[in-house]
Amino acid sequence: MKLFSVILAILFIMTNAHTSPIKTVELRSAKSPIVTFRLQFRIGAINDTEGKEGINAFTSHIIAQGGTKELSYQQVVEALYPWAAEIDVIADKEVTTFIGNVHKDHLEKFYKIFSDLILHPRFDEEDYTRLKDEGINYLQNSLRSTNDEELGKQTLQALLYEGHPYGTTNVGTVQGITATSLDDIVAYYQAHYTQSNLTIGIAGGYPKDFINTMLKDFSSLPVGKITVIDLPAPRAISNLEVTIVDKPARASAISIGFPIDVTRSEKDFYALMVANSYFGEHRTFNGVLMNKIRGDRGINYGDYSYCENFIQDGGTRFIMPNIPRRQQLFSIWIRPTKPEDAHFSIREALRELKKLIANGITKEDFETTRDFVKNYSKLWVQTQDRRLGFALDSKFYGTEFFIEKLEKELKSMTVNDVNNAIKKYLQFQNAAIAIVAGDAKELQEKLSANATSLIVYATKVPDTILEEDKDIINYSLHINKDKLKIVKADELFEK
Amino acid sequence: MEFDMIRFLVAFCAMQLLFTAVIHTAEKNKIFPYEINKEVLNNGLTVLSVPYESPGIIAYYTIVRTGSRNEVEDGKSGFAHFFEHMMFRGTKKYSSQAYNDIVKKLGSDANAFTSDDWTAYHLVASSSALETIMDIESDRFQHLEYSVDDFKTEAGAILGEYNKSYSNPFLSMFEKLQEAAFTTHTYKHTTIGFLKDIQDMPNQYDYSLQFFDRYYRPENCIVVVVGDFDQKKLMELTNKYYGTWERGNYVAEIPKEPEQNEEKIVTMTWKTPTLPMLMLGYHSPAFSDKNIDMPALDVFSQIYFSESSTLFQKLVIEKQLIEFIEGGAENHRDPYLFTIITRIKDKENIEKVRDEIYQTLSEAAITPVSAERLANVKSHMRYAFAMSMNNADAVAVTLGNYLQLTGDAESINRVYDLYEKVTPEDLVNVAKKYFSKENRTVLTLTQEETK
Repeated sequence: MKLFSVILAILFIMTNAHTSPIKTVELRSAKSPIVTFRLQFRIGAINDTEGKEGINAFTSHIIAQGGTKELSYQQVVEALYPWAAEIDVIADKEVTTFIGNVHKDHLEKFYKIFSDLILHPRFDEEDYTRLKDEGINYLQNSLRSTNDEELGKQTLQALLYEGHPYGTTNVGTVQGITATSLDDIVAYYQAHYTQSNLTIGIAGGYPKDFINTMLKDFSSLPVGKITVIDLPAPRAISNLEVTIVDKPARASAISIGFPIDVTRSEKDFYALMVANSYFGEHRTFNGVLMNKIRGDRGINYGDYSYCENFIQDGGTRFIMPNIPRRQQLFSIWIRPTKPEDAHFSIREALRELKKLIANGITKEDFETTRDFVKNYSKLWVQTQDRRLGFALDSKFYGTEFFIEKLEKELKSMTVNDVNNAIKKYLQFQNAAIAIVAGDAKELQEKLSANATSLIVYATKVPDTILEEDKDIINYSLHINKDKLKIVKADELFEK
Repeated sequence: MEFDMIRFLVAFCAMQLLFTAVIHTAEKNKIFPYEINKEVLNNGLTVLSVPYESPGIIAYYTIVRTGSRNEVEDGKSGFAHFFEHMMFRGTKKYSSQAYNDIVKKLGSDANAFTSDDWTAYHLVASSSALETIMDIESDRFQHLEYSVDDFKTEAGAILGEYNKSYSNPFLSMFEKLQEAAFTTHTYKHTTIGFLKDIQDMPNQYDYSLQFFDRYYRPENCIVVVVGDFDQKKLMELTNKYYGTWERGNYVAEIPKEPEQNEEKIVTMTWKTPTLPMLMLGYHSPAFSDKNIDMPALDVFSQIYFSESSTLFQKLVIEKQLIEFIEGGAENHRDPYLFTIITRIKDKENIEKVRDEIYQTLSEAAITPVSAERLANVKSHMRYAFAMSMNNADAVAVTLGNYLQLTGDAESINRVYDLYEKVTPEDLVNVAKKYFSKENRTVLTLTQEETK
């Protein structure tokens, strides 16, 4: 089937024909009425200083949601408002990306404000207080309390990356934010917001020579040097290390994961993408997990897996660009189940993973999944903003444009490549599991005793499922009892 | 068990297929800048198509003008949303697995959603997949078939969907606000429905057949195609795949909400840590592209509750009493609520913040805004619209939203024309008319005291 052949026929230029240490990515499209900026600094939560966890995100937010030397935050808001222009920031583990979107009618005036925010931030005391409160409230009253699914995911990250620079949330910790002064932020800005750390991304209907104006303007940042820090290997996970987050909850949110040593930079990653899509494509009915847990059994709303750090981009079902990592993880997300079904669901997910590793995927499943990934990936770049984001990610991983690279790899891929990647990178024995649960003590006892997890259905289910259940209810989970712990939600992300 | 209606449909295979064609051409001064083609089949199905520069890609929406508003019977709240799930459970021709295999093979982005007034089934896929999409979509809209067991299994997933949202207090707050503010109208419940009704869903198989028979009919549905397609081919395929769909005749009797005559107060506590929240609901009019009130309230929401508003500046930036404030009235087919929501940093300041909001609303009923401020808001609304039209799916869902409200794509242009006509006096008038004490429901949420 002829598919989307023209969508990538956009003007895709990676410009580096200048002597500045600033790197550039351009996607100029003269017909587009919108101009999109993604200005990315090679700094992230991994650059947070000890005791001031969260300083990277705090600094970026006080820039994006603060003022310039000329304009207060409120004046910035007022200026942008009639144009419906937007400024946002994603502060992730390894990179921090400032995003601007404006109609080309207002490009010049918008660019003056957008660039001033980054080049001449106001660092106002009032903005500092407001955003400090916001960060602390997010951890104390939102993450710990009112979003169990996100709490499960963040707990999993903390568990997997104990003692590793990836180990704290991007927002930081309560004590880290509390300890960060405005002077600390100014010092962090001066040390890290340098030409060497910067990649300018621009897309859409901007004038041809606009990039030169930007290079000239941003050359006022100190040249600096690249501040990419070395990452230690993630700690070894021993058997199943379970942390149960104890809080009032109607249902149990579950995240399972382990580090994997492969990223978009390597060929194997693309074979693993196909395996992952077959096993747990995000928010589709394609995956084994979704069909087994939700489709056949109606246990919950959804069940998915991921072969890299994954955050859904807004209202889409696609990965958010600009959250790249040099070290990746494989993870499974089981959406909230009734408390009595949590143990069963973990068993079922890990048993399916074990089967995937043992049996691989068939040639037929490989072919349909490969075709799906090839076609579906074209939809990830429908807007210029997302195209630009993926172009920056490609630069991070040192590859050609991600979607083209993927298509090329899929073309030459075989079912053996996929099954080899499954065997090489996936395993089911050693994983971290985070569960947000209202019945923490009871669940801990069941897990510890490897107790039978009976399941009761509201309706008659086919005999094939009941047969399968006989294996699942007693499927042995090798729980690391020394690391089977309960933590109170309000103890998490404190320091 | 089979649907009785399938037998009816077979008998109507030879139904005549003449189209009534009306072609709209985009006009330069209209907010919606693309050409809209509209054709209506004799069975009442409307097909709207919009050529849009998305090379090789189309967005395909099937809109059902039925949502939780139509859940008129007791004990049936949440059914429109539940039914959306059942639409993925297959037909004789394409089982659930076969449907999903096709969607997977296409590499399409396929999903559905339900709101108070409508349900939408949507796919974004390759242009070359058009016929396949029309085949599988028309098939399930005419020949859906599922077993009692499938039905009961899916009810578990609905409870799972309710559970996934439950840890966030917003779901409970909207449940309580709507239940208090409405006495009669079906907007009394949220789209996902009352928990007790969700728990009873496994027992409602027979009702589900009735629901399908009532609402999944051509005169109640609109197909919207946006992107890179051939219009002639589209209509040939429409004829082929939708022509035999039998027209229905059910009209839901939606109860009218009487006027609210006294202020209602609701207090809630939350078991886990949360900052206090305040939610105010003022009864507001139904969507209209003719009457100025609702467009004026949309402008009002921007003037008094956007980030550029005086209230935001005062409470979020200067005094830092609250984390955020938002206010507005979502477009609805029947009169709904203008809702104001804020999260307050300190419990001690709940009343102070509430009074600041009241004060703002009282002043709005006396003092007209400046011409400059009004012009800025109108500019914002125009540019926000233009910037949001950045892919075929966004165009389709935006158009779909207006279509479900009135059935007429031109509503989008008419309502933006009305925005341009809103005067400072219109804003004073709507402030006087809708933001009275008697017309409001006040909900306060605080954290449960630890014993």
